[in-house]
Amino acid sequence: MAQLVGPLRKELADSLSSCRVLVVGAGGIGCELLKNLVLTGFKNIEVIDLDTIDVSNLNRQFLFQKKHVGKSKAQVAKESVLRFCPSANITAYHDSIMNPDYNVEFFRNFQLVMNALDNRAARNHVNRMCLAADIPLIESGTAGYLGQVTVIKKGQTECYECQPKPTQKTFPGCTIRNTPSEPIHCIVWAKYLFNQLFGEEDADQEVSPDTADPEVAWNPADAAARATASNKDGDIKRVSTKEWARSTGYDPVKLFNKLFKDDIMYLLTMDKLWKKRKAPLPLDWTEIHQLGVFGYIENYVETLRSQLIEKGEGAELVWDKDDPPAMDFVTAAANLRMNVFSMNMKSRFDVKSMAGNIIPAIATTNAVIAGLIVLEALKTLNSDFDQCRTVNLQCCSFHVGVIGLVQILTLAVFAFDCLRNVFPVIGPSVQVSMKTTSVSNNNKFLSDFGIRNGSRLQADDFLQDYTLLVNLIHSEELEKDVEFEVVGDAPDKAPVSSVPEEGKNIANGNKDSAQPSTSSKAAEDDDVLIVDSDEEPSSSTMETSLESSNRKRKHHDADTDDAASKRKRLDQQPADDDEDIIALD
Amino acid sequence: MTDNKTSKEQKYDRQLRLWGDHGQEALENAHVCLINATATGTEILKNLVLPGIGVFTLVDGHKVSGEDVGNNCVSITIFSKPKVTYMLNDVVLILQNRAQAATELLQELNSDVSGNFVEESPDKLLDNSPEFFHRFSLVIGVQLPESTYLRLGSVLWEAGVPFLICRTYGLIGYMRLIVKEHTVVESHPDNALEDLRLDQPFTELKHHVESHDLDNMEKKDHSHTPWIIVVAKYLEKWYSEHNSQLPKNYKEKEAFRQLIREGNVIHHIQRILTNENGTPEDEENFEEAIKNVNTALNPTKVPSATEDIFNAEQCENITSQSPSFWLIAHGVRDFVRNEGNGKLPVRGTIPDMIADSDKFIKLQNVYRDKAMKDAAVVSKHVEALLQSVGKPPESTSEQEIKLFCKNAAFLRVVRCRSLAEEYSVDTFNKDEITSCMYSTDSEMVLYLMLRSVDRFYQQHSRYPGVYNYQVEEDINKLKLCVNSLLQEYSLNVNVKDDYIHEFCRYGAAEPHMVAAFLGGSAAQEAIKIITHQFVPFNNTFLYNAMSQTSATFQL
Repeated sequence: MAQLVGPLRKELADSLSSCRVLVVGAGGIGCELLKNLVLTGFKNIEVIDLDTIDVSNLNRQFLFQKKHVGKSKAQVAKESVLRFCPSANITAYHDSIMNPDYNVEFFRNFQLVMNALDNRAARNHVNRMCLAADIPLIESGTAGYLGQVTVIKKGQTECYECQPKPTQKTFPGCTIRNTPSEPIHCIVWAKYLFNQLFGEEDADQEVSPDTADPEVAWNPADAAARATASNKDGDIKRVSTKEWARSTGYDPVKLFNKLFKDDIMYLLTMDKLWKKRKAPLPLDWTEIHQLGVFGYIENYVETLRSQLIEKGEGAELVWDKDDPPAMDFVTAAANLRMNVFSMNMKSRFDVKSMAGNIIPAIATTNAVIAGLIVLEALKTLNSDFDQCRTVNLQCCSFHVGVIGLVQILTLAVFAFDCLRNVFPVIGPSVQVSMKTTSVSNNNKFLSDFGIRNGSRLQADDFLQDYTLLVNLIHSEELEKDVEFEVVGDAPDKAPVSSVPEEGKNIANGNKDSAQPSTSSKAAEDDDVLIVDSDEEPSSSTMETSLESSNRKRKHHDADTDDAASKRKRLDQQPADDDEDIIALD
Repeated sequence: MTDNKTSKEQKYDRQLRLWGDHGQEALENAHVCLINATATGTEILKNLVLPGIGVFTLVDGHKVSGEDVGNNCVSITIFSKPKVTYMLNDVVLILQNRAQAATELLQELNSDVSGNFVEESPDKLLDNSPEFFHRFSLVIGVQLPESTYLRLGSVLWEAGVPFLICRTYGLIGYMRLIVKEHTVVESHPDNALEDLRLDQPFTELKHHVESHDLDNMEKKDHSHTPWIIVVAKYLEKWYSEHNSQLPKNYKEKEAFRQLIREGNVIHHIQRILTNENGTPEDEENFEEAIKNVNTALNPTKVPSATEDIFNAEQCENITSQSPSFWLIAHGVRDFVRNEGNGKLPVRGTIPDMIADSDKFIKLQNVYRDKAMKDAAVVSKHVEALLQSVGKPPESTSEQEIKLFCKNAAFLRVVRCRSLAEEYSVDTFNKDEITSCMYSTDSEMVLYLMLRSVDRFYQQHSRYPGVYNYQVEEDINKLKLCVNSLLQEYSLNVNVKDDYIHEFCRYGAAEPHMVAAFLGGSAAQEAIKIITHQFVPFNNTFLYNAMSQTSATFQL
């Protein structure tokens, strides 16, 4: 009889049953991966996913069936796998991997971590945790017919964040609010509107005309005219859109008139905007039903209103492209706005694609990628890193991690004891939130600056032309009297940061730009703390690097204007021995 | 009914965006036969059942064996069904037919799919009723012995049924596609050039361009004129200075760009003279025009692949049996040779560009209307053709013709060589094999090794290395097989001993991760064949899981 794992070395085959692995994500790749893992002989598997099962998953996520819709992906995946491999020992977590409970210690429980994620925030996070824990990570992703798998091992390969990823295209607020020129602008507006009316309000998602549009040079005389125009809706601009909508009982006529008539008339008063553009045409409630199905916005508003009421006081709806009323509302509102701005209307299918940032997903690509992940996993466990398909670059400065308690670690301790003594940063000054604060004796805790588990801190030392990126991992399990622990070695010289290239990033699943589904929204952006120096090296710790810093300084003098002006700014600062804190958001 | 439609739309949403409603329809009308529900076989079928193939028939004469439900390669048990758990502990149930067991499990994955099973070995079916295989849209043969796939291959070749052979052999994956002729209208090319006809504008486009007067436009209009118009306008200027010749090389194109740049400035200067505060500024549409000069001025011509199709015998000799692809191809050819003056029907789409909606839509309509007109002329030709072969005019739909015209520049015909040609010492592709084997680690060596293990099987009725205690002696036996293969085909190539050892070590095992990879790839090729979208590989695919490399060969 054929050897079951014929092509595997015996020791490797045997080690599989004792090896513990973590699978992050139980979606398209995750389902296939779990199956491949147990069929290859892995026994101890933990799987985490915060998502629940949706109908649109069923064309590829074969561990789920119609009857499972709405249930936890991780849980159902576990149950389905156990049914055909009862001897497997699977633990399922219906949770976000970004939850601080899953700390470095948690990651150290595994011999290997495999990502099967669909958003960049969670990928970044797992990447950093694995680097801090020094556990190999296999990163993967699919988009339509394309897919990728790569192995990340601290100190040996490039990490997920070594190459900057193209950022999601965003639109300026005034384009969305005042001067949409493409359907996507109207669709983004309609999604904002959904949140303003039914969801979580966000000051960055205003839908009313933007009076601060830089294109509209302010003229006091015009202001009066505008005030008259806005009188019709009285004070509504001062209360929140949701409050106002609620006070009208979500009256579709009032809503409609404000959004598609009054607001548009107000926009028309900003006549500078329309000198080079075609002016919008306000819609009238009486014409709305001539606009085909998109005119039935009142029905969708009503459905959503009753959903909101059902959820109880203070509840919020979360926009989901696969939720029909939410999708219908956005389709209708976007199309009405497209009509106002003389654009060709878009079908629901197309609006869904754009509003949901839908990336096609099929069973075949996921199957291929999940097969490849297991092959890479076997090689990784065998420590055949040179056999792995990966990028072997030693540029990774993210290999430096600091573990500490953000509520206890003060800025002063961090800046002096950690940065200056451990890393070759000379005289740190710190920027936090654009405000300048003194570093020495600054006993504010890192948590006061919004720094938390997984935050990445950037230290720039202009003097040395040195950039250090530090991942901060929050941990409550440090030894007594230890304030922080440094993991990994600081690179001698950090890489020159490169500029993200334009282009398709195939690797990032279908939700990179949309709401991350495996992470909380608040954790999406990193806090960046910049530490720079304007001092000559003075402390004894710096002696060794003095020579190199002089050489680098020369190099620096020849550097760009930008860096030079920064330098100048720093030079003009009072020359106390105290460092300043300037903060970035 | 409509409920069913919406629920399908929801379920299949993420794939409809790749192959569209008509691709999905083709999938739902397909009947696929899969032989052998091994790990690779069930992976392939799973990947076809999930996206909603219409019907599948599983042919498998094997009983579920210990190997299937053993520790790791429990291929058929990947599908969640309580019965399977039971099977693991119940010897009696293990003797259940593999075809039936797998069919039941596969059907659970998608209630829209219907599945049949035949508890019969393919060899028996070939003995008794080879026409059994004629009914399928595609036959996929998995882990078949050489003698079986050669027999089946010749039956299917005669019947014109596409045949896909798939094989997982240790860390090697192999696929071979055998299809006499596979036509693709929607090949979805990656970097298609637009069909703008700026070098040879049609009358309506000419008139439309003439209706714009860039020199006497308001600034607002000037900066919102689509770049296509801008290029067309400056092309007129260029022609007057260059003997009506298109800018051809880099130098000329650069000069043409300069012409547009200067023109833009001149326009602004003129406006400054008349307008009090018009400061020259970059106009985005002019920037776009300059950026697009390179591709927009490509001469319009019939691509060679399409030309080959026009000259093919199937296009020449239309009969009442001709598939609609060739009928329409003939119609388009007639158009090109007559009304089209050597050009294909206008595609009718233009890219997104900076313009106000009104101007954009007007321009779009110029192209769209012309495309409709051209398609209507093609329709007339097709109608006449149908009449001449005695077929009713409604045998091809208007929609089909429009789709064909729109894709006329991207048509593809894939013709694979038959297995008989590949195996005959007179017709095998010696050049390809020899030239690839200059590098001893080319994936071609895997092909030679697979042929050698088949030879081994023929002689010993088992694959090398399947029994641990025989691995050593099998190495020598396999070496003999390799040598006799090379000798028979007079191949003067070197097969490294490493590969012989490695293939013995594999013991014909079917490790799941390789099966998963091949299952995904094979299902995707099957979907291409069924939907007639995207271009399938031609004709041999090899995957090396050890080095993570793959290659395709024409054998």
